[in-house]
Amino acid sequence: MRNMVSDAPRTTLTAFYWAFILYLLLPLTLMMAMSFKDANFVAFPIGDWTLDWYAKVMQDKQFLEACLYSIMIAAASTLAATTLGTWIAMLIVADGIRGRTIIFALACLPAVVPGMISAISLRIFISTIDMPTGTAAIILGHTVHAVPFVVVMALTRLRSMPRNLVDAARDLGADGVVAFFRVTLPYLGPALFGGMIFCVLLSIDDFVRTFFLGGYRPTLPMLIFAKVQGGMSPEINAMATIVLVVTAAVGLYAEFITRRARTR
Amino acid sequence: MEPVVQFDNVNKSYGKHVAVDNLNLSIEAGKFVTLLGPSGCGKSTSLRMLGGFETPTSGRIMLSGKDVTRVPPNKRNVNIVFQDYALFPHMSIAKNIAFGLELKGFDNQRIHRRVSELLELVQLQDYAARLPAELSGGQRQRVALMRALAPDPDVLLLDEPLSALDAKLRQQMQIELKAIQEKTGKTFMFVTHDQEEALTMSDTIVVMNKGRIEQMGDPNTLYGRPGSVFVANFIGETNLLRSTVISSEGDVAALNWNGITITANPGGLAPRHGEHLYVVLRPEAIHCSAAEPVSGNRVKGKIRQRVFKGNHTSLMVEVGGGAMLNTLVHPSDVAQLGGEDIWLGWKPETTTVIPDRHAHN
Ligand SMILES: Nc1ncnc2c1ncn2[C@@H]1O[C@H](COP(=O)(O)OP(=O)(O)OP(=O)(O)O)[C@@H](O)[C@H]1O
Ligand SMILES: [Mg+2]
Repeated sequence: MRNMVSDAPRTTLTAFYWAFILYLLLPLTLMMAMSFKDANFVAFPIGDWTLDWYAKVMQDKQFLEACLYSIMIAAASTLAATTLGTWIAMLIVADGIRGRTIIFALACLPAVVPGMISAISLRIFISTIDMPTGTAAIILGHTVHAVPFVVVMALTRLRSMPRNLVDAARDLGADGVVAFFRVTLPYLGPALFGGMIFCVLLSIDDFVRTFFLGGYRPTLPMLIFAKVQGGMSPEINAMATIVLVVTAAVGLYAEFITRRARTR
Repeated sequence: MEPVVQFDNVNKSYGKHVAVDNLNLSIEAGKFVTLLGPSGCGKSTSLRMLGGFETPTSGRIMLSGKDVTRVPPNKRNVNIVFQDYALFPHMSIAKNIAFGLELKGFDNQRIHRRVSELLELVQLQDYAARLPAELSGGQRQRVALMRALAPDPDVLLLDEPLSALDAKLRQQMQIELKAIQEKTGKTFMFVTHDQEEALTMSDTIVVMNKGRIEQMGDPNTLYGRPGSVFVANFIGETNLLRSTVISSEGDVAALNWNGITITANPGGLAPRHGEHLYVVLRPEAIHCSAAEPVSGNRVKGKIRQRVFKGNHTSLMVEVGGGAMLNTLVHPSDVAQLGGEDIWLGWKPETTTVIPDRHAHN
């Protein structure tokens, strides 16, 4: 028989592991469970189950509009961040560039600055340049926030790219632009795809920056926040559950795609 | 005839480090020319300058009679086969080969015809739709070769293209490469640090050392008549006999090697009494026997080491004064030598004489 004492650390570790999983999943499970409750207030016991709240959410014009608005902002900021981030990554790996460490540090800064500080400074910035709050300002804020993630992902992939690939393209008659679009960009493809999904999720999820930079049109997090202020109801749970399921699915799918591309 | 490629006093330095030192080289059309030399001697740098990926610090590079020294790589009619092949991983084999043709603006039909023709040349017709990752090393090698040949370059540059292959495949590819070169009639400029590879394939070998050309010639000349100690050592196995001149008269010089008198043809050297020389004696030029040979140079020795190499046995023979000679015999002849004490003999005309001043390299 194995010694109980020597097994103790292992057992403890396993116990902590399960405690951690529980801690992670319990709030989410509760939230989901309540969205199926056939009553007007969020509390145990659940009693009867229903899908009414989902039906209500799907007919809620405010909710649908907020979804659309969030997706639009996410798409725009992702496009901008991917373009900008790829360009910066290319700059960093280019020959004969001086101060690449500084460029890299500057590009990564927005990822480490606390969201609050970043939001305030962006707000001050836009009012300095007389830019109104609203859609454009939010997109700007989300773009700045997302660029570092694109840079890091593109850089990792670029560093693993055989140097000769671009040389081979040049050798066969491609100028710099053609070589970039026909060889470098396809090579970066999987990394950029992963980066883009990440940007979308960051943007959909963002509250602080949007709060400081936004106008009167609410994005999804702002709408949910406003509703929570008006009191908890299973309708909010249903909304949150929909958002959770969709974003988790997108995230997992992206991970799956990038992983498959990487192992090829 | 006008050379296809000409390097005129080409230098390339990286900071203080001189990678290529005053290179002068012209290459005739349709030849298989090999740059051979140890690691870091400037072979790749020379090739990359011709490809347009490095700019010479000074000097001029001519391609088909035009000065291309400062022309970017996409505007010169040369193509490179890279050491790691550098096939585009996201494109099919056919797309890879078509890449250069598309950029030349050929129409689809013509591209298709050329790609099939090239794939057929290396028997890869059935692989056209595959991705590079789905091919073996040798197949990838062939695709890289065809991709570079597709746009019909004036010169094809190959930078150690076989070094990633295993020994067997490598030999096979050497023969195939030479056959393709002969069939297409293209000028090949090949880089390697493997002397055997160079001897197998080349019309002309350019031996480089420390950024300079050490000697240039056809394989036979380089092997049989090396011009320096470096070349003698680098190409094939060799015995270098450091000797002192006793007397020299026309084609015959009497030399003292380790207290033994030998004769050799000093070539055009006309050495004086007391001068030092190297005699290059290839292992296969030595004849081993139990009895003393009747003519030529001869020396008595004792076998110190035998190494069986399959088609021959290599012998290390001590010949007095601690000097060792490396020689080889046919395995079936080893028994006829009798014991450990044997005679070694060689004809003076099989040796080459090199002045001592080259010996410092
Ligand atoms: N970009 C560079 N910067 C600095 N030094 C370089 C650069 N490229 C080459 N060198 C130096 O120039 C010299 C010649 O390099 P090169 O690559 O031509 O050698 P090589 O003959 O091809 O060697 P190998 O057989 O190892 O490929 C080397 O000493 C190398 O360190
Ligand atoms: Mg090299």
